[in-house]
Amino acid sequence: MTEYTGNPLLWVLLVALVAAAVLIGRQRRAARALRQEVQGLKQHYTELENDYGKSVRAAQERAEDETKTVLKSAMRTLQGLAAEQQLVLSRLQTKYGDSALLQDLLEIDHTNSQFGRRAQSIAVLCDGWLGGRRDTASVYDVVRSAQGRIRHFRRVEILSQVDFGITSRAVEPVALALAELLDNATSYSSPDTVVEINIRTVPKGICVVVDDAGVGMSDEERARADKLLATERASGVAGLGNPPQFGFAVIGLLCERFGFEVSVDSSSPYGGVRAVVLLPHDLLTAMPEKKAPAPAVRTAARPEPDGGPQAAAAPSQTSDGLPRRRRKRPMAIVPGSASAPPSAGRSDAEQARVMAAFQRGTQTGRVTRPGDADRNGRTPGASREGHEDS
Amino acid sequence: MTGHDGWEPEAPELVRPYVITKGRGLPDEEHLSLITLVTASAEDTRRPARLSPEEQSLLDLCSAGYLSVAEIAGHTHFPLGVVRILLASLKEGGHIMTRPPVARARPADKEILEEVLNGLRAKFG
Repeated sequence: MTEYTGNPLLWVLLVALVAAAVLIGRQRRAARALRQEVQGLKQHYTELENDYGKSVRAAQERAEDETKTVLKSAMRTLQGLAAEQQLVLSRLQTKYGDSALLQDLLEIDHTNSQFGRRAQSIAVLCDGWLGGRRDTASVYDVVRSAQGRIRHFRRVEILSQVDFGITSRAVEPVALALAELLDNATSYSSPDTVVEINIRTVPKGICVVVDDAGVGMSDEERARADKLLATERASGVAGLGNPPQFGFAVIGLLCERFGFEVSVDSSSPYGGVRAVVLLPHDLLTAMPEKKAPAPAVRTAARPEPDGGPQAAAAPSQTSDGLPRRRRKRPMAIVPGSASAPPSAGRSDAEQARVMAAFQRGTQTGRVTRPGDADRNGRTPGASREGHEDS
Repeated sequence: MTGHDGWEPEAPELVRPYVITKGRGLPDEEHLSLITLVTASAEDTRRPARLSPEEQSLLDLCSAGYLSVAEIAGHTHFPLGVVRILLASLKEGGHIMTRPPVARARPADKEILEEVLNGLRAKFG
């Protein structure tokens, strides 16, 4: 053993062994520390990544909100200008109604409406202003209003009408949604085809069916449309593609906000797309009263004791304050009686009154024209009749 | 907007005139002038449902006898040209009849009269 202890080689070996052990221990510790550090770094990195994602998203949202706000107010200005221009155009159309200029004014009006609609669509996507207040309007008028907002409105035909009105709140959104549908229908079908609109009453409300004879939609397009119309609402103007496709995004938002439904999942018998707008009962009202002048009243002048001329002098005016022309009656012996509907059972008393009026008429005729007294009494009666009508 | 002179409707009309006319052009001045007389066709007892409300109300106005185009326009709130376009389309559909205005008597030609006078004088005077 001692010879070994004296061997320096052994000592060297021992020292080397101890050194190695120490080294290994230290290395292990270092490795552990390193691993921990890596772990920490990784954690830190994920944290950073999350934060970064969050801040990017926040920045994006903020940017989108800012875009929205800017677009919203910009569109509001444009919408206001379009509406103002429409009023000016209305005035001009009345002013130059009888000149050839009217044709051009109508065309400008058409372009202006399309321009207004575009601004409105963008405003809807940015949660903006939809337009001025509207009165309740008939479904037919709302459909026609939508028709007027697209380029190829001449190709749209409304085949049926219903006796329902749309509440004032829903007039503008329904018109805008329909306009977008009609725009799609006319843009994706050939220029010589007609886009048909049918309005039907269904148990749930009213359906406006838009049929085009276009090429229809591909599966991909249909999926996008369904998504925008039913499940996932568009927000802002991002993600509309280039060129931007506003239509379904706008319609989807309007549906959600105002509570009507639009579906495009059936195909039209003409091969194109069939779009169906379902208006529930809460959006419907009775037919609004017509503003247009009422039909000329056929006054059945009652045979009054003091005769026709005074009765006829009663002022009869239209709602616009213009004098209303009376129907030219055929020559009648007794003023008024000819225009009265020949009722089936005229009572005896009435009959007597009519005869009395006749008699009085001939008498007054004889009195006012003493020279004609010998001629029969019909002439004065007839001339009085003519008098009444003039 | 200034200069409205109290003429300020609440909102622009919902249905614009060019939609009501269905984008048709103005009719010929000869066919339908301001003083052309218009009345509903005699056989127009059945009203086609396809007519727009505006056309229906024009028909109602015309059914009361001959009215001039200008008068009809006065009863509606539409520009005159729009009424003319609508009347033209109603006429095309055979719903109304038009009658040209009574022609004005032409002023007699002074020269011819003088020649006749001279002739008569030469013969009898």
